[in-house]
Amino acid sequence: MSNTFVDAFPKQARLIRQAFLTSFVALGVGALFGLIQALHRTDIFRPIESTTYYTVLTGHGVFLVISFTIFFLVGVYQWAVTESLEREPVDMRFTWGWYGLMVLGTLLAAFAILAGFTDAIDVSADVLFTFYAPLQGHPLFYIGLVVFVVGTWLAGADWFRTWWAWKGDNPGKRIPLPTFMVLTTMIMWYISSIGVAVAILAFILPWSIGLVESINPTLTRTLFWYFGHPVVYFWLLPAYLLWYILLPKLSGGRLFSDPLARVVFILFILLSTPVGIHHQYLDPGIAEGFKFIAMTNTMFLLLPSLLTAFTVVASMEHGARQRGGEGYFGWLKSLPWREPAFTGMALAGLVFAFGGFTGIVNAGMNINYLVHNSLWVPGHIHTQVGTAVALTFMAGSYWLVPQLTGNRLVGRSVALFQVLLWFVGIIFMTNSMYRGGLIGMPRRTAEPQYDGFDFEVAAGSVGELNAQLALGGVLLFLSTMLFLALMLLTLFNHDSEPIDERSIPRPLSGPEDSPPVLDNLKLWVAIAAVLVVLAYSIPLASIVSRGGLFGPDVSPFPVFIESIGDARFVLESILAGITR
Amino acid sequence: MKIHTYEKLWLVAAMVLIVGFIATITYGSVALGITMVGDQEDTIEPGELGEDERFDDPRVEQVGENEYEAYVIAQTFIFQPDPIEVPENSEVTFYVTARDVIHSFSVVGTNTNTMAIPGEISTMTVEFDEPDEYGIVCNEYCGSGHHNMEGELHVLPEDEFDLTELSVEADDEVALEDDDEVTLEIAVENGQLEDLETTIEAEIGDETVTEDVTVEGDSTYETTISVDAADLGEGDHDWSVTVDDYEESGTVTVVDQLEDETEDDGGDDDE
Ligand code: HEM
Ligand SMILES: [Cu+2]
Ligand SMILES: [Cu+2]
Repeated sequence: MSNTFVDAFPKQARLIRQAFLTSFVALGVGALFGLIQALHRTDIFRPIESTTYYTVLTGHGVFLVISFTIFFLVGVYQWAVTESLEREPVDMRFTWGWYGLMVLGTLLAAFAILAGFTDAIDVSADVLFTFYAPLQGHPLFYIGLVVFVVGTWLAGADWFRTWWAWKGDNPGKRIPLPTFMVLTTMIMWYISSIGVAVAILAFILPWSIGLVESINPTLTRTLFWYFGHPVVYFWLLPAYLLWYILLPKLSGGRLFSDPLARVVFILFILLSTPVGIHHQYLDPGIAEGFKFIAMTNTMFLLLPSLLTAFTVVASMEHGARQRGGEGYFGWLKSLPWREPAFTGMALAGLVFAFGGFTGIVNAGMNINYLVHNSLWVPGHIHTQVGTAVALTFMAGSYWLVPQLTGNRLVGRSVALFQVLLWFVGIIFMTNSMYRGGLIGMPRRTAEPQYDGFDFEVAAGSVGELNAQLALGGVLLFLSTMLFLALMLLTLFNHDSEPIDERSIPRPLSGPEDSPPVLDNLKLWVAIAAVLVVLAYSIPLASIVSRGGLFGPDVSPFPVFIESIGDARFVLESILAGITR
Repeated sequence: MKIHTYEKLWLVAAMVLIVGFIATITYGSVALGITMVGDQEDTIEPGELGEDERFDDPRVEQVGENEYEAYVIAQTFIFQPDPIEVPENSEVTFYVTARDVIHSFSVVGTNTNTMAIPGEISTMTVEFDEPDEYGIVCNEYCGSGHHNMEGELHVLPEDEFDLTELSVEADDEVALEDDDEVTLEIAVENGQLEDLETTIEAEIGDETVTEDVTVEGDSTYETTISVDAADLGEGDHDWSVTVDDYEESGTVTVVDQLEDETEDDGGDDDE
């Protein structure tokens, strides 16, 4: 088929390919690190020192949830804007400029992290991707992060600019849905990433360079989580975009409702920031009332995801019925299960729904006390960003990469196997993590084997949990390598053509069914700003008045390897029951 | 805006679900009194914990009939005190702070779990019904030794629990020529609020001295036991002092004449 994206927009396709390439390199390194962690924690294979574990873990976090996800995001969003506005960026040099900044930022941060592996360079940043002060990494780490974030800001500016240009040519037209999703995501990102920018630029960076003496750990931590919750939606929304835009087409139908999709994205602008304190339920120095407000907001934040579940399933059902499916559940059989792009996304959605329930557990203030910072949390992380997002990205690539290269996907049935393998791997790994968390196994720990006590497993044993975690980790690693191999082969599969063409069918219920006020972005920005001020001004003021802007006299704690020297049973048995 | 009937139903169901969750949690925190770590305590200088009367000596203290307070410091890569000992059927309020970086104080397998942030004090009140032993871990990454950071919490049967501390000061060397005595300065501290009835038993060489005492609640009883050096004779003599399960011991040397007069630099052996 010759009507592919690369035919229509060769220059943009090149940039997007580049962004994907960067993203996949990060995925490969991150997956290797993940494998090391899975084997090390469980004491199955320990090729590294336990002190080095934290260098690996910092890399795993940063490369996967910063580089892999966000480079993929900018690729997909560039595709979505170009495709739905049928328009190139105003100035392609600017576009390459922000991509370059993001790469530079990544390289700086990666250098600071990876230098931790060798004593030859006196640089390291074993601070994990949350970099809570007074742990201190090398300034290059923080500078890298800032440069990267500035790159994403400019990317957003670029998409807004394209849209403004388009608006000039198309007065009075509704914003096409994919572009609407891109713009709303970026608004959310601007509002939220200010938090991390202030944390780094005003406090952590000057302190790591030595310009200021001390730091207020609660303040920088709160600013981090101001950004830290919305950032999970920054990972998730490109996956949502693919579920809304691509999945209906792959199912053989069309999106159920354009208006509802817009409502969902607006809800994310409004609600994703004033909730960050739910990561700090266990922090002293923050009044219970603020925690309560964050909890309530968080619960309302379920709404857009529940609505998405509805729309996605409804669109799939529509597609199946178009393909001749019948019956209450019988239509499920008519879905294109042999298509890896479809199956991968459907499985990702399924895992996401399960992970959503574990998220409700996290969000419940008092239940949180049982699982906070236990292995339960990486369980949640891997079902959500580690699968709902990562598997959707991989599955989406099976459709997108042929569009971007003009080459046919190599190994369609291997690809199908790959997504299934991921699904199986994630079930093993997260099942072990969830259950381990319930018995109190801590996360972020190289050797969760203690001298003074044993973990009490109600059903099963620690050995079994470890075996599952390691097995899951190995399967996930193999699945990632398969994916990367298929991508590489597809890239060089020159004398071929994609099976599908680029067009996206119109929704069943189009934008004309939605009130124009939904497209009034300024209004939503204003409301979001008010909500953020309401949720954060008093807590921040109180944190500053308690601990001072620059905090008490805490000395920095450089994480240089050298310098340091060296309702539970019910849930648990249910989970154990599921896997038996 | 056109909304499909099913969409409307789903929307309503979703809202009901959300409000339901909020109600459950509100009920949990308000009606069941499951409280959270908050901002009840004033801040503290992490560099000056040694000057704070709560944290200069991390410990468990009795404050009411069955009420105790535990002052805990988390630092790279230990908890103080360790183990933490409390009695069964007690209500213990933990005050936890950090000396250097952010740690956590997490009693394994329970919801007693808090961040320990330098400059802040977390408080949690926990009820312990039955004797048990728990592990404590730090579940917030705190540096390269994070995985070694563990502690223990012992909930003891009532009859095994006390807050008694025994300390003894004794000479290392005593000279015969000065007609000297070998003295043991004994202090028995009772941290509990009830009186402590006990017996101090001291042995020096072959001599045994016993004394029945009542140490009042929250106070220290001090006594001195002495034996003539001449009775012991020249040579090394072991001594020991026992109070309930506590024992202190050491050795005193009786010599003819002290070499030089560097007397009394205190052969102390206190705990
Ligand atoms: C090859 C597959 C993967 C394996 C074997 C793996 C393994 C692990 C393990 C064992 C941990 C827990 C480490 C600990 O707490 O001690 C972990 C943490 C984590 N993983 Fe993965 N993972 C994989 C893929 C991913 C993906 C695809 C993502 C996200 C896109 C991801 C994001 C994270 C994050 C954010 C953490 C927490 C990091 C932290 O605590 O600082 N992982 N991973
Ligand atoms: Cu969150
Ligand atoms: Cu720790």
